[in-house]
Amino acid sequence: MAEVIMPKVGDAMTEGKVVRWYKKAGEAVKKGEPLLEIETDKVNLDVEAEQDGTLAAVTVEAGQTVPVGNVLASVLAPGEKAPPAAKAAAAPKKPEVSEPEKGQQRRRTDKKDSIKHTTGEYQEAIEQQGLRKDRTAAPSANVVALPEGGRRRSSPLARRMARDLGVPLEAVQGSGPQGRVIAKDVQNFRGAAEAQPAAAAPRASRVSAAPLMSTLPALEAKLVPLSAMRRTIAKRLAESTGPIPHFYLTADYDVTNLLSFREQVNAIEGIKTSVNDYIVRAVALALHHHPYVNASWGDDGISLHGEVHIGIAVSTPEGLITPVVRNADQKSIREIGDEVRALAEKARNRKLLPNEYQGSTFTISNLGAWGIEEFTAIINPPNAAILAIGAVESRPVVIERQVAVRERMKITMSCDHRVVDGAAGAEFLKTLRQYLEQPLRLIV
Amino acid sequence: MAEKSYRDAIREAMIEEMDRDPNVLIMGEDIGVYEGTFRITAGMLKKYGSKRVIDTPIAEAGMAGTAVGMAMLGLRPIVEMMTMNFAIVAADQILNHAAKVRYFSGGQVDVPMVIRGPQGAGVQLSAQHSQTFEAFYGHFPGLAVVAPATPADAKGMLKTAVRGKDPVIFLESAALYGMKGEVPEDPDFTVPFGESRVAREGSDVTIVSYGRMLQLSLVAAEKLSKEEGIEAEVIDLRSIRPLDLVPTYASVARTHRAVVVQEQWKPFGAAAEIAASITEEMFDELDAPVARVTGEDVPMPYARNLELLATPHEPQIIGAVRRVMYRE
Repeated sequence: MAEVIMPKVGDAMTEGKVVRWYKKAGEAVKKGEPLLEIETDKVNLDVEAEQDGTLAAVTVEAGQTVPVGNVLASVLAPGEKAPPAAKAAAAPKKPEVSEPEKGQQRRRTDKKDSIKHTTGEYQEAIEQQGLRKDRTAAPSANVVALPEGGRRRSSPLARRMARDLGVPLEAVQGSGPQGRVIAKDVQNFRGAAEAQPAAAAPRASRVSAAPLMSTLPALEAKLVPLSAMRRTIAKRLAESTGPIPHFYLTADYDVTNLLSFREQVNAIEGIKTSVNDYIVRAVALALHHHPYVNASWGDDGISLHGEVHIGIAVSTPEGLITPVVRNADQKSIREIGDEVRALAEKARNRKLLPNEYQGSTFTISNLGAWGIEEFTAIINPPNAAILAIGAVESRPVVIERQVAVRERMKITMSCDHRVVDGAAGAEFLKTLRQYLEQPLRLIV
Repeated sequence: MAEKSYRDAIREAMIEEMDRDPNVLIMGEDIGVYEGTFRITAGMLKKYGSKRVIDTPIAEAGMAGTAVGMAMLGLRPIVEMMTMNFAIVAADQILNHAAKVRYFSGGQVDVPMVIRGPQGAGVQLSAQHSQTFEAFYGHFPGLAVVAPATPADAKGMLKTAVRGKDPVIFLESAALYGMKGEVPEDPDFTVPFGESRVAREGSDVTIVSYGRMLQLSLVAAEKLSKEEGIEAEVIDLRSIRPLDLVPTYASVARTHRAVVVQEQWKPFGAAAEIAASITEEMFDELDAPVARVTGEDVPMPYARNLELLATPHEPQIIGAVRRVMYRE
């Protein structure tokens, strides 16, 4: 008969818990077969049978914790009979003094086999030595300082990318150790250089054409892996046009007065505003008159939002994101402008925090800077509507039977028909007209 | 497939090869009557008799030299070193004879022999008996050097070693003997030398290792995935000579960063060779210096806590990954 005891695994172990038995009493077992799983304060381990036979006298059930050396069960050799119960539940005995024969010694060596096992002990060793962090990670003492004003530090990949993309490496701010320019820095630099500020809406005539290229670079065919951001965009927009019944309303606004008003504002020293800042303010005020547009559809009812938070679509190298100007109805044009520019900058550097891009009640997308005359935008759920702002253009219009040249801008509103009906949307656009065409209303 | 321990996989490979070819024999200290210090050769003396399972005196140079002679004359000896540390005594036989005879004889004489045994730390055998030798043997042309990390590879590569024409240094790890894994039953299952494998797929960083450290790297990779969202690709080199770095290069081309893990001393170790090769071949793809995770530069302490502190654990690998990803 061989006793199955709670093994001592590691010097600090005094007791162990039986997690479960793989074998029942009376079941045949083979040498080396796991009998039960035990749990110490560090690891879980299997206890194996020391010999062929039958499992008998299981005295400790799953869930019980017993001291090291305690008898848990016994394995009877083939043909052997179970001893009286009293003997099987004998007093605990120390594994150190038990059976100092060959097989036992080998089993003790085996206990150190498991990688899982040494990991727990490693933590203990670290604590014993008062070592907080891993010693091999210490930086090398033989750092050779590069001379001041010498060559920029940069990774080979960053240099290759800069070469391929035509980015001047010396213009890139390095984020690696000792200012090393790494691949991410080159990507961000390139992204920032390419992304037009989506929030600004200069006149169409000022939109510059694509840069002329003397030689056409070779086009590259490749599969661009989906980034987490691109996946989210795809998922959310599909969610939008799928279940949301969209309809669209387009209005043409005369913003001649607005532009001259802005010119006067920008003439004040230290103030710089963009047309988009006025639009955000106008929309925020107009929403006050039309709570059903500042709303969300839900299965239990339509939520009318008590606050006006305007999401602004910003393009980044990775894709679209909509930072939010909170309580835009309570902010001045200047405050809105400063906030939008700060958020757009953060968005392009991927520094936006969740509370800076979540929780909008209404969204504005402005492609005026790209010279887009008009377009339709897809609703940003759970908003009930979105405005697509086109470019400001000088156009001939008839005023009191006279042809005049005026600055005009088209705005298209996409509405969730479950929340906003056609007439309600049209009323909102009408209110918006008062603010955009009589810009003094924005400040009085 | 059946689940077997690394230890049983090695024994099974030897038994299958001894059954297959009467020229295969094993020799070593305490491998017969005592059945092996780590019980690798349990039951083999009884099965094959003392002509093919030879208990030797404590004389490693004699064992290795005898094996070279046997191999030159057509036998296929497997020499078990109780630990690879003892083979240092036989270095002249291994490096100057086993590794050179085919070259010296103009290809006329093969030396099909295997020197196998455990190496490395983890079981408190102190400074003289805990060393690793892959870099030492990997330096010499004429030898094959392998360090399997799984039971299946242990079996498949040992069979390849026995069937080959050249001397093979077969490096096991005492700390892996109890590890279990699926092992193919096919008696002709072999794993070729010089073919590394992707042990875990990932896209953020490449971790390169072999032997026991491969298992540690996999544990670290899972932790990185769970706790930091970093997906590490883990490459198992399997053999040190011939060294196959092609999958490593392909991986680095995608991840742009590499961490090489070896168990022991940093200076002139296998990780140095691997890191230098990556830098030579993949320079333009690297976004960070290749990082090495190695043991402490001290003779291996006996004390359990100090032994643990002197060998790499997951925190070092995770720390190195964070460094090459600029997450510190």
